[in-house]
Amino acid sequence: MKTPSLLLALTLLGTAGHALADRLDDIKKAGVLRVAAFDSNPPFGFLDAQTHQISGLDVEVAQAIAKKLQVKLELVATNPANRIPLLVAGKADLVAANFTVTDERKKQVDFSLPYFASGQQFIARKGSLSKPEQLAGLRVGVDKGTTQEIYLREKYSKTTVVAYDDTPLAFTALRNGNVQAISQDGSKLAALLANAPDKAKYELAPFTLTREYQAIGLPKGEARLTKTVNDTLVELEKSGQARKIYDRWFGPKTKAPLPRDFKIGDAA
Amino acid sequence: MMLTLLHDNLDYLLWGNLTRGQPGGLLLTLGISLAAGMLATLGGLVGGVALCMGGPRLCRVLDTLVQILRAIPVLMLIFWCYFLLPILFGIDIPGVLTVIAALAVINAAYLSQSVKAGIDAIGDGQWRAAQALGMTRWQALRYIILPPALRAMLPSFVNQWITLLKDSSLAYVVGVAEFTFVATQINNREQVYPLQIFGLLAIGYLLLCSTLEWLGRRAGRMPA
Repeated sequence: MKTPSLLLALTLLGTAGHALADRLDDIKKAGVLRVAAFDSNPPFGFLDAQTHQISGLDVEVAQAIAKKLQVKLELVATNPANRIPLLVAGKADLVAANFTVTDERKKQVDFSLPYFASGQQFIARKGSLSKPEQLAGLRVGVDKGTTQEIYLREKYSKTTVVAYDDTPLAFTALRNGNVQAISQDGSKLAALLANAPDKAKYELAPFTLTREYQAIGLPKGEARLTKTVNDTLVELEKSGQARKIYDRWFGPKTKAPLPRDFKIGDAA
Repeated sequence: MMLTLLHDNLDYLLWGNLTRGQPGGLLLTLGISLAAGMLATLGGLVGGVALCMGGPRLCRVLDTLVQILRAIPVLMLIFWCYFLLPILFGIDIPGVLTVIAALAVINAAYLSQSVKAGIDAIGDGQWRAAQALGMTRWQALRYIILPPALRAMLPSFVNQWITLLKDSSLAYVVGVAEFTFVATQINNREQVYPLQIFGLLAIGYLLLCSTLEWLGRRAGRMPA
């Protein structure tokens, strides 16, 4: 499936326009908030081993928004490439799936205030990758339709980029030698590595390429819904709830501790 | 380790979150295939008979329709129905129904050709003999032509049903939690057991398909 061309088609169709009532009213009337979340990207969104339900940091943020709206939360499992189509087609009201804010994406969807920040990093076999210059000539696995894929293709033309459905699949390719490194948000890679039974063989390469912000994705032009989401996020930070959620997944007692260097409201 | 893996995930692989009212896994694959299979069979029979009995105009319309449907990849049709129908026409169909509809329509198109071929294969003499006995064309079809024709078609029907069952795995593209989708979810969480998990997946499909084949063979041996 060629994601860019599909996205283009979706955008073109989307601009054809269709009159919808205000989404916020629709959500309240239905009593259900449909949020697209990852099912394979711990700790943002993943299938819990015990409950077989999707849970994670993104899911807790989504729960807070549903609570604020006083409606039930319904999660729609998604992969990176389906996030924009789900919003544009109205199959989900929000995307809470480690969704990086980019100008390109802003043409098709709206974003809330960022609630997470990270940078593009790499996992490779121990000692095999220590500086960006070494990327030339390597085969690097990425997730289809992510900012990391786009960035590598644009800035590292000598690197062969291989796109996979999601990060765990890319990691499998790394294990099998199909690629020599994989690239994603550092936070996601740290968590993935921490959960890997064979983590002793791999490491997070000690450099970061970019600074990226993750936010809730919304359908275009839903000002009231966007405001409600933003208000909820600001309240989460104020009440200390945002830190609690962060610490539950990245705090000092977790498998992949990562100091919190970003607060909601730091970037717009 | 294989045992813990099985113990932790087998229920999810087999029926998803059924206890929470969200069937998935092998059970959902079965449900989708059964529903789509029955619709496709019905559509194929009606379409094939219409191709044989209908007037030239009806036949031309049906032929065009079949040609278009056969030229579209199932994956694309599913994607279209799920993401593009809401945008174009504001019709919102849930994922499972989208997959059932897409599989039913495409397989009905294929089956209608098998039905037509099966009917065509019965000699002209049979038609004439039936008419000589005073039967109408429809009576001849019902009592003389269809019984042996259906039996001759059975192998291609079984073929098509098996294809349909395997194609139901394409439901992953719209996030429907069928067998392949949940196996991928589990594999992504467990990370290091792809061989075991996808081996189990292969065994699951193998069992389903060979059961279908066995049933087909038994039905073929039954007296009409």
